[in-house]
Amino acid sequence: MGTRQADSTRTTDPARTSAGRGRATRSSTRAAPARTGRGAARAPGNEAALAGPLDQVPAESDLIEAAMRWHFDPRTGSPFWLELAPSLGFDPREDIHIVDDLARFPNVVDRLRDIPAAALIPRGYALEHPPDGAAAVFGVFDSGGTTGPPKHMLLMTDWLERMLARNERESAERGYPVAADWLAVAPSGPHMFGTFIRELAHRQGRLAYTIDLDPRWVKKCLAAGRRELADEYADHLVAQARTVLESQDIGVLVTTPPLLERMVRDERLRRIIDERIGMVEWSGAHLDPDTRALLRTEVLPRPRLFGRYGSTMILSGAPERIGLSPDDPCVFDPFSPYVTFRVVDPETGERVPYGSRGRVVMNHVSRSAFLPNNLERDEATRIEPPPGQVGDSVADVSPVAVFGDAEVIEGVY
Amino acid sequence: MATGSPRPGPRGEAGLIAVDALGPGGPYHSRTRLTITDLGGTAVAELSLVPSLYVHRAIGALRAAEPLPAAERLAALARAGEMFATEPVGGLAVDDYERAVCRISGMPISVVRHATRTTRRALVDAGRDARQALPTGSVADWHDPATVGGRAVWTRRGEVFGVHAAGNHPGVHALWPQALALGYRVAVRPSRREPLTPFRLVSALRAAGFADDQVVLLPTDHTVADEIIKAADLSLVYGGDDVVRKYGDDPTVLVQGPGRSKILLAGEDWHHHLDTLVDSIGDEGGTACVNATAVLTDTDPTGLADVLAERLGAIPSLPPEDDRAVLPCQPSDQAARLERYLLDHAAGTTPHLGGDGITDPVPGGGAALRPAVFEVDRPDATQTGIELGFPCVWVAPWSPADGTGPLRDSLVLTALTHDEALVDRLVDDPTIRNVYVGDHPTYWMRSDTPHDGYLGEFLMRTKTVLRG
Repeated sequence: MGTRQADSTRTTDPARTSAGRGRATRSSTRAAPARTGRGAARAPGNEAALAGPLDQVPAESDLIEAAMRWHFDPRTGSPFWLELAPSLGFDPREDIHIVDDLARFPNVVDRLRDIPAAALIPRGYALEHPPDGAAAVFGVFDSGGTTGPPKHMLLMTDWLERMLARNERESAERGYPVAADWLAVAPSGPHMFGTFIRELAHRQGRLAYTIDLDPRWVKKCLAAGRRELADEYADHLVAQARTVLESQDIGVLVTTPPLLERMVRDERLRRIIDERIGMVEWSGAHLDPDTRALLRTEVLPRPRLFGRYGSTMILSGAPERIGLSPDDPCVFDPFSPYVTFRVVDPETGERVPYGSRGRVVMNHVSRSAFLPNNLERDEATRIEPPPGQVGDSVADVSPVAVFGDAEVIEGVY
Repeated sequence: MATGSPRPGPRGEAGLIAVDALGPGGPYHSRTRLTITDLGGTAVAELSLVPSLYVHRAIGALRAAEPLPAAERLAALARAGEMFATEPVGGLAVDDYERAVCRISGMPISVVRHATRTTRRALVDAGRDARQALPTGSVADWHDPATVGGRAVWTRRGEVFGVHAAGNHPGVHALWPQALALGYRVAVRPSRREPLTPFRLVSALRAAGFADDQVVLLPTDHTVADEIIKAADLSLVYGGDDVVRKYGDDPTVLVQGPGRSKILLAGEDWHHHLDTLVDSIGDEGGTACVNATAVLTDTDPTGLADVLAERLGAIPSLPPEDDRAVLPCQPSDQAARLERYLLDHAAGTTPHLGGDGITDPVPGGGAALRPAVFEVDRPDATQTGIELGFPCVWVAPWSPADGTGPLRDSLVLTALTHDEALVDRLVDDPTIRNVYVGDHPTYWMRSDTPHDGYLGEFLMRTKTVLRG
């Protein structure tokens, strides 16, 4: 996840953009006390909409407008965006007010393959972390590299803190065992997934056992037609997971769907997971609805099973909605308004109706980063958001469907 | 196992035939389904696709199950054969089933009906047919008194047999039930080109006494297909050269590869054998691996190609559900691709029939695939190995100096010759799997003779049991 092919589809929905609705309507969505006008005495970037307390979520237009002031002010914006700004054809600080306006931006993710990642640091951080703000960076992380060279993203410490606080709340709401240690069988290295889980367990005062995996090696094996090598590697990972699960008291297991499936194919390991684990969280790859239902009803009836739809390009993951039955579509709600989704017809760029399939467009808007209008390679069903959430929720995320056998011409079979 | 999502009746939403997976927990109506359309693009059936976790658990359940006692297996197979051919199964009467297969696959209705009878007989006789492979020194059961003092006993090489079924012809499902007769538990992956026949067959086997953990139907998309082969002990896979390359070196996989059946006329006047030649090319609509792909002759190949073109060209184009239909049909786009492939690959050869194309639209949608006759100028022309799923033949010159090289890699070789030394070499050649000497069509089959070896050669081995 988190990577996509080169595509700079720009999408606008005039009915939803602020230009179309008029500013009067837009202002009504604003929380008046948080409003801080441009030119106000407070330094840009420290206003409540961008840097408020971790447990407060700003209103949509407050966040977007504050972020535009921050990322496109020559004193505080990143070299990357400031260099790009003149070619946009509009002034983000004047023209961008709500999430749907972000569709006016070009899709820039392909540039993240080549530019120095440091160019993504907003200059405003240098004021707090001289000389260049790099000290505010928690880490450089890569997209998976499925479609070409990986894209580099920066995870800033302040955003990590905000995400961890959010995740803690999400975990509590979903009944994650509190006094239990974690096992993450997930990629670390250049990937955010493993690192983030480790931080999350640490934050909750628990031990995080980790087993690393290298998804690029697996993809390389499969691309070379060396399935048996990929299988051997997967067995090697499962064997390591087994050692931990057998000997340690693990309450939360975090892994990818393919590895989870391999673990539960082994009846003894399946029983250990079913009997001892309180929460299984999956992320990092797709899980089809039939496998999810099988896992929840028949294979792992006892533990709770929760998914998270994550992407390096949004510096976060959207958790599975609470209260879904095994037969419900698996719905993910993003951390709006910082992270927002739009499900579109990739041909026209228009939103598909609720309940229809389309491609997922992602936005990330925070003080630490700005990555708008990124058309992902994933397909999903567009789902109505919960009250108060901006943009779409998504369900049953999957790679672009490939069903049949390869077409056969020669031969009779 | 779970039963999937709530499932409609046999005729599900919009009147589609619901082809569920048939797992160890019963029918499984999955959330991911593939619509099966007929020649005209009209939806006919909906196929439930299962994920790999389902496959592995299903095959685990097969492995954990005990086979039925031998006598019960054979009785259930016979009952299933009768049901398959004469009774409604899964809500579909025989006529409805045959017509649906015909409309989906484009196979002439007479061929489908014939396959129903062939399959019935194959199930009734599955035990006897399987035992044809029993080595002469061995017995089939260790209880046999012959093991007192030591004797070879014929035993299974594994417990679970996987089948990647072909969809070219409903008759391909007449073979794998022998594995059930031998005590294997069987997992069948249907072809999306025609999943109705294996669905009907597995349903009938279950109704006839095989429990849900004895035989399963596991439709999957192609990314999951390999999981069946990996999880099963032994597998049977149908396919072309790509499948041979992929599995040819795997001792657990029996590959049913290209047929490339041929006819050789050496020292024989072909005027006396035209019926056999024409039938070998066009019987079963030319869709079978035993149809002749090439005819090699030492006398007047041009004249022969002309006569074959005249005879085959007289076959009418009819929709497949017409009782008189002989030619197979395909959806128009697939037919056009086949035509383009043929014409591209025929470059440099002499067309006698079909040089301007082979597709002919039929009422109801789709196109008939009309016969093609092309002449090549040398016996080792690469075209003689191009096997297409309709009556399509390459006519080549041959002389004794060419030897057996151009005749190799044949499922069936009909040799119209009196040259016994030549027949010796053909029978000895390991790449020629069946040799018919004299005026016999390439599609000749009898259940007690092997088709591509006996299936039992692959499924079984001998071991010594000494007791007493």
